[in-house]
Amino acid sequence: MIDRADSNAQAFHQLYQVNRTWLEQWLSRRLGSRHEAADLSQDTFMRVLSSAQPIADLKEPRAYLLTIGKRLLVNFYKRRSLEQAYLDTLAQLPEVHAPSPEHRWQVLETLYALDELLDGLPWRVRQAFLLSQLEGLRYGEIAARLDVTERSVKRYMAQAYAHCLLAELC
Amino acid sequence: MLNPEPTAEARQVARAAARWLVRVESGELTEQERARLQRWREASVAHEHAWHRVQALRGRFEALPPAVAMATLGRPDVGRRQLLKCLLGLAVAAPAGWLATRELPLAAWQSDLSTGTGERRRVTLADGSVLHLNTATAIDIDHSRRRLTLLRGEMSLRLATPQPFLIHTAHGLSALRGGEMAVRQDDAGCAFSMFAGTADLQPLRYSALTLGAGQRVRVSDQGIGPITMFDTRQPGWREGVLVALDQPLGDVLRDLDRYRPGVLRWAPELEALRVTGTFMLDDPDRVLTILAATLPLEVHWRTRYWATLAPRKKIA
Repeated sequence: MIDRADSNAQAFHQLYQVNRTWLEQWLSRRLGSRHEAADLSQDTFMRVLSSAQPIADLKEPRAYLLTIGKRLLVNFYKRRSLEQAYLDTLAQLPEVHAPSPEHRWQVLETLYALDELLDGLPWRVRQAFLLSQLEGLRYGEIAARLDVTERSVKRYMAQAYAHCLLAELC
Repeated sequence: MLNPEPTAEARQVARAAARWLVRVESGELTEQERARLQRWREASVAHEHAWHRVQALRGRFEALPPAVAMATLGRPDVGRRQLLKCLLGLAVAAPAGWLATRELPLAAWQSDLSTGTGERRRVTLADGSVLHLNTATAIDIDHSRRRLTLLRGEMSLRLATPQPFLIHTAHGLSALRGGEMAVRQDDAGCAFSMFAGTADLQPLRYSALTLGAGQRVRVSDQGIGPITMFDTRQPGWREGVLVALDQPLGDVLRDLDRYRPGVLRWAPELEALRVTGTFMLDDPDRVLTILAATLPLEVHWRTRYWATLAPRKKIA
């Protein structure tokens, strides 16, 4: 066991040495920022290290790194789009209602987690679900708001609840 | 690679729980259906569990300011997908939960009891039992039926009476029969630690087992880990400290990260550095400063929340 862990650490070390600069440059070209590229590249390697995949067995290490790097990049952009939407909303609030930086961070983290949770739901389903959860509307009211039948709303809600349950399971 | 697909059975249970909740919420549930729902819940631990979790979902949205949440979570989908596609030139099909642990923080503010990141709480129940909540934790509690659901985070319960108390988690059910138990739920699994007394554990997908004082077991989607012994006298989060005894720095940082609002990253070279020390959890940023003073690393502050640890540059 120890031998295997050791050899994996060695393989990781080599993978990191050989590919770090290359990956950072690849990310940097897409992000336009060296700092963020460095952080995302660190994240990528950390994920490789914590995954169950034995590193020495990788046939195409760069393709593997890119697969992980790209997904992190997608998440980075999703996060940024959410953050922008949040900041835009806050900008419309009167100064007195502006939450503290600490509170803002918490709201943002919560929003992000929920955004992830709802990821992949069709637009209408997501809307129906949000109207129910956030505004507390009843099914009939949601149907009127979205201009669909109440039967559809029930189907949307069931789909959204099942989706969230399964997403949390993963 | 990280997240196994849910089994067909898990899907079926989730769909059934979702359909039941919709029936209840529509206000059309008949007495007969109510009885059927009750029978469905009692038919298996997994059913009862799914029912708890699907109901807990609402709590995750309730505490958010509705207008702000609607504007951000309900932002036009098309725009953001197109943005991604044109930025990346690749089809976007990010699997849910890829960014697992780090980005699933506190959420259920409206659960019965909760703590924010870095916060800890001690609550005495009506019968004198003592409940501790660690950082970023949310639980729902039903006093009359002596049961609680750990929605996220970490808690411990010390019973004042020998009457059993049920603890629901995402990975299984624990019946505490006197004594004291700590439960920690994260995305990958759930760890049960007995400090005193005994508890029966019914993992969701595996067979039942009994835990005695000083025993700890971890249950995850991959299976049940071995039962290990731990030192019940060693101080821990309930005393507000994090004790590291010759541990890899990566483990210490992952633990510390739970107490710190913000982003904490470190270079992979630092992962295996060994750390020994007792750190105060009330000021995680100070712990970073201490680590930088005692180990060959330095802290870069990108923003007030965002700290990155890098190997210390050698002075030529």
